[in-house]
Amino acid sequence: MASGDLIVGLEIGTSKICVVVGETRPDGTLKILGVGQAPSRGVRKGEIVDFETAMKCVHEAVVDAEQKSDVMIRSVYVAVAGGHIQGFNNRGCVMLSDDRDEIDDQDVEDVKVNAREVSIPAQNAFLHSIIQHYHVDGQDGVLNPIGMLGQKLEADFHIIHGVRTRIQNTIRCVKELPLEVEDVVFSALASAQVVLTQHQKNLGALVVDIGGGTTDYILYVDGAVKQSGGLAIGGDHITNDISMGLRIPMARAEKLKTEEGSCVLGNCLPGETIVLKDDSGFAGKEIERETLNTIVHLRLRETFELLKRTVEEEPFINYVGAGIFITGGCSLLNGIDHLAGEVFEMPAHVTHAQTLAGLTSAVENPQFSTAIGLLKYAQAVQIDRPRRGIGRLFGRFFSGMR
Amino acid sequence: MIQLSKNYSLPERQEEPIPIKVVGVGSAGSNALDRVLLDGMDKNDLIALNTDVQALASSVAARKVQLGRTSTRGLGTGGDPELGYQAAIESADEIRQAIAGARMIFICAGLGGGTGSGAAPIVAQLAREAGSLVIAFATLPFSFEGKRRAAQAQDALSRLNEVANAVICFENDRMGDMVAPKAGIHQAFGVADMTISQSVRSIVNLIQRPGLIRIGFDDLFAALRSQNGRCLFGFGESDSDNRAHDALTQALKNPLMDKGRMLGEAAHVLVQVAGGPGMTLSEVEILMRELGRHVRDHTQIVFGTAVDGKMGNRLSVTIISSLASEDSVGQEAPSVQEPFLAPPPAILEEVEELPRPAPKIDIEPEVVPESAAAGDLIPFEQPEPVAPEAPPPAAPPPIPSIKKPAPRLIPPKKKAVIEKEQPKAPKEKCVQAKQEVMQFEPVTRGRFEKSEPTIVEGQDLDVPTFMRKNIRVK
Repeated sequence: MASGDLIVGLEIGTSKICVVVGETRPDGTLKILGVGQAPSRGVRKGEIVDFETAMKCVHEAVVDAEQKSDVMIRSVYVAVAGGHIQGFNNRGCVMLSDDRDEIDDQDVEDVKVNAREVSIPAQNAFLHSIIQHYHVDGQDGVLNPIGMLGQKLEADFHIIHGVRTRIQNTIRCVKELPLEVEDVVFSALASAQVVLTQHQKNLGALVVDIGGGTTDYILYVDGAVKQSGGLAIGGDHITNDISMGLRIPMARAEKLKTEEGSCVLGNCLPGETIVLKDDSGFAGKEIERETLNTIVHLRLRETFELLKRTVEEEPFINYVGAGIFITGGCSLLNGIDHLAGEVFEMPAHVTHAQTLAGLTSAVENPQFSTAIGLLKYAQAVQIDRPRRGIGRLFGRFFSGMR
Repeated sequence: MIQLSKNYSLPERQEEPIPIKVVGVGSAGSNALDRVLLDGMDKNDLIALNTDVQALASSVAARKVQLGRTSTRGLGTGGDPELGYQAAIESADEIRQAIAGARMIFICAGLGGGTGSGAAPIVAQLAREAGSLVIAFATLPFSFEGKRRAAQAQDALSRLNEVANAVICFENDRMGDMVAPKAGIHQAFGVADMTISQSVRSIVNLIQRPGLIRIGFDDLFAALRSQNGRCLFGFGESDSDNRAHDALTQALKNPLMDKGRMLGEAAHVLVQVAGGPGMTLSEVEILMRELGRHVRDHTQIVFGTAVDGKMGNRLSVTIISSLASEDSVGQEAPSVQEPFLAPPPAILEEVEELPRPAPKIDIEPEVVPESAAAGDLIPFEQPEPVAPEAPPPAAPPPIPSIKKPAPRLIPPKKKAVIEKEQPKAPKEKCVQAKQEVMQFEPVTRGRFEKSEPTIVEGQDLDVPTFMRKNIRVK
């Protein structure tokens, strides 16, 4: 049984639902107690399309996790993803009243509220507002302004928002189990917590989480989040392309992709073929390896190019020093790091969660980055300020943690 | 692919360059003029009107008119529209001379202050009397400038709406949204100027370019019909490989467009696609199909296309539309209380109903004496069929006429323009074209068939990449 505080991360992915149970030790480390999984149905492109089915799958995964870790799960941190999630930067500003000049808690709260006063589409809701830097009377790069003297406090925030109803669907799906939802976290943000070290965040890094249905990204420069968002393209699209291009069923295309797929062109023998075995083990259809790779390559290249164009709308990509970190289930594809490196013209790495104690076999799979990242996120939030309003937690977390 | 043959030609429309003038009223107006000049408009077409001599001196316009020599004595109006109004009345004669000879007059003004709010409606009215078509570009103040200014701006806007043929209204607040929060304040204002300049240029092009499917004034007005509404305007130009797509994306990126989202609510959308002789039908088709995603099914698309040798390799898209303000969906009169000019019926729908209304009575004496100006009008009234009847009354009693001759002068003119320019075909054609486009998509999306499509940059990403890129596998 668990001795410290239990933290549970739940990711409702397009291809699988994954529950990671961890505990925080008194010395501040995290230990993973167990990982539960279930194949996901009723989810397309990271969003729930069949509520009942998705709920059953989540239930399965949670039960699996409970059995493996031997704990009761009551509350979870949930990751959300999807093409509807967008991020942007905004600056908030407050002037202190004339009779005082020391910046206090309340001013920092005010500036945060002020930074949030921007127009996002009516149907959208704020997911995170993450502090980048404070400025006091024009002095840049202030990390913690509380206690400083000044008249004008400004703060740059990165704000992540998404379509309210879609986020609520995810929450409701969990609540009906019934489990308590502690917090909702953008999946790439969660992944970045375990994929990147603080040093890499400072150098500047782009984390790309390619899952089954979505590709989410988050970009760090100078240790602060500068850009984030999601594309509704993922591994499913590759499978679909293979299935349509080679005219084979989806299930077989999926298997072919994971077992044989590669996005490197031109390194197989001319005419080299793969023989598809049918269920009874007899040799069936033959397909050319190069064809398979071409299909995968084209799709992934397009995805990266699209991502690059999106990221290049703002200048921050130029300040990325550590390179690109690819994670998520799709990052297991052969050669994906070369392709990403080629498209973005900077070093690219396939990574998984680092630096955790416990079940290392679970940790060392990029499929679990997001779920494990949720634990790290939760831990940071809880250390910083146990049990207060969710809205306050985020800001705290990042102001202390950056 | 079907390609428009270069040899195919309609009875060649001689490209009559329509004489135009761009009038900047007040300091916001002259800022806009600066930008218009930068964007390549002829200096001689620009007229700056201001009460403030200093501001006037720094303007780039070739022709400058100081308003209210005696009433403001070269100073500004201090934000008082009444004073701006008086000043314009005082200088009506000079204004009339300055704008003489133009068939179309664009008035740029920042509403909310003194000169812009007070003088712009007068300028519009004088221009209408001179027989010109008047399109006003008005910017509304930022909301932080205070309620008072906002009220003055609304008031001036409703008056402009009455006298001008069309008013395109830019909300500075919206412009501000589009500028990065860290950008300097001058940039925020600059965006408004830039948008105005683009609008002027593209409307001029719209109307001047010989069109295969021509867009006339009436189409323009139909698109701008909703009163007090918000104007949606987008212009994009590209010469890349994927120019149709790029130009449209650029047009939709325009601050007034909100990435095309606003288009969904518009009832009329005017689209003009212009390009060099190399423009292909499929390009237009792609473009319209993409645009079709942004508008609702029952939206009427007024579509025009023009081939212009000067465009070379470029392809440009102009989208103009307007949203009704919450309450006034119809084209009926301004919802605002009657302004002090008078309560004429809405002009846009029928030209007959020109402002016959009297401005404040005290104007009349001052304005009566000008006949020279009226004389100026006659020459270019002449081309119009109805003109002969007009001059006699127009010359001697020109000004009491502020109401009377004006209605007579303008309606004929406008009608003539309309008849000449509107081949009637465009509307029917556009409907057809749109339907054809719709039938075009035999997409295969496999397992994503039933899910919400992922459309980025105009491509349906659920369709396998190799299919979209036409790469043969196997």
